[in-house]
Amino acid sequence: MKKLIQLTINDKEFEIAVDPNQTLGDVLRYQLGLTGTKKGCEMGDCGSCTVIMDGKPVNSCLVLAVQANRRKITTVEGLENENGLHPVQKAMMEKGAIQCGFCSSGMILSAKSLLDKNPKPTEGEIRSAISGNLCRCTGYQKIVEAVKSVNE
Amino acid sequence: MLLPKFDFHEPATVTEACQIMAEYGVKAKVIAGGTDLMVNMKKKLVSPEQLVSVSRIEELKKIDTAGNMLKIGSCFTVADIAASEQIGKKWKALCSGAKALGSPLIRNLATIGGNLGSARPAADLPPSLMVYGAKVVLKKKSGERVVAMDKFFRGPGLTEITPDEILTEIQMDAPPAYSGAGYINLGIRQAQDCNLVNVASFITLEGPGGVIKTARIVMGCVGPTHLRAPSAEKLLVGEKPTEAIFAKAGQAAAGDCSPINDFRGSAEYKKAMVGVLTKRTLGIAYKEAMGQ
Repeated sequence: MKKLIQLTINDKEFEIAVDPNQTLGDVLRYQLGLTGTKKGCEMGDCGSCTVIMDGKPVNSCLVLAVQANRRKITTVEGLENENGLHPVQKAMMEKGAIQCGFCSSGMILSAKSLLDKNPKPTEGEIRSAISGNLCRCTGYQKIVEAVKSVNE
Repeated sequence: MLLPKFDFHEPATVTEACQIMAEYGVKAKVIAGGTDLMVNMKKKLVSPEQLVSVSRIEELKKIDTAGNMLKIGSCFTVADIAASEQIGKKWKALCSGAKALGSPLIRNLATIGGNLGSARPAADLPPSLMVYGAKVVLKKKSGERVVAMDKFFRGPGLTEITPDEILTEIQMDAPPAYSGAGYINLGIRQAQDCNLVNVASFITLEGPGGVIKTARIVMGCVGPTHLRAPSAEKLLVGEKPTEAIFAKAGQAAAGDCSPINDFRGSAEYKKAMVGVLTKRTLGIAYKEAMGQ
């Protein structure tokens, strides 16, 4: 039986009916059309489905949509505002930290969460913060440089 | 990847949760962070008919350090343990274990109760909890019981928890004066990896510069459950804490375990690493015991 849940996604309220066995990631993509959140391994290993839930980055493939009821979600679509792209997004572009782009949404959200708490992280702190986001193109170097450059 | 179908319950109190578990028993599974259960459900290794989420039960998210004791609610997240100053003050090895678990994304979801309930022999939190002499509280409709961590694990994925019980709290006393503990995990990668070997050690000294009064060593990944290293512990008691005795204890601990050969490493290598990690964690414990 479907359950009615309320989600605040990127500051907008949604009320949707979901099956108990749907993940938050699937609801975002297939019911709400927010395809910025990617589906990679679906096992909590790759981080491409990262969203920020109640202020913390999590794997949306491991969260049931019903468990996210009444929680606040930020997806990569929520980062851009009237001033344009988020500083992390701009830095990623400028430093050439995006290749195929599949890891980028998750990577950007993990980096944003880090910078919100710690505006001038060390390289070690950056590498640790993005350690749940796998990138198979860049070798991470340019991503680390981009995150480092945001508040420099 | 589709999840099997199930009915979802989201009790607001432990009492309500216990009633649901009493009603459904083996047909129900408790879910908290879901980082282990969700993966197993996706792989169709488990297909519970009823899923009982405990993550909205406020009383399970509390931490209490009153009365020289630490009480952690089972839904306290691993990220919160890693960042907790209260825990870091007296139970630092537990924080080390929490920092070593999974990735930041996993730590934000995963709970201490889940890390114990899933009973993986490579889990990061049990070794330090066991050396601190922790106990777990198991509640059911008709009452509760307290089980020592030493007696909690029954095998890989198996624990003392009966189908109608819920793990609600983890308790441990503050270590006595001149005590210290250390935890180290070894894996191929630093994040998102299953440990190859992990060890926690705990010692209490007679006083500054005194002999070792108490020693507890727990090894992971080298048996069906986390194992104590009795001969290494025995060897340390009554001895002056020195690098040489720590190395000897490491050799003894290597003899106390019987790891298997698998794709992560050979039994011989794991044994050797138990020795190294025992020695190093004892070094960390000694430094803490001396207030360094």
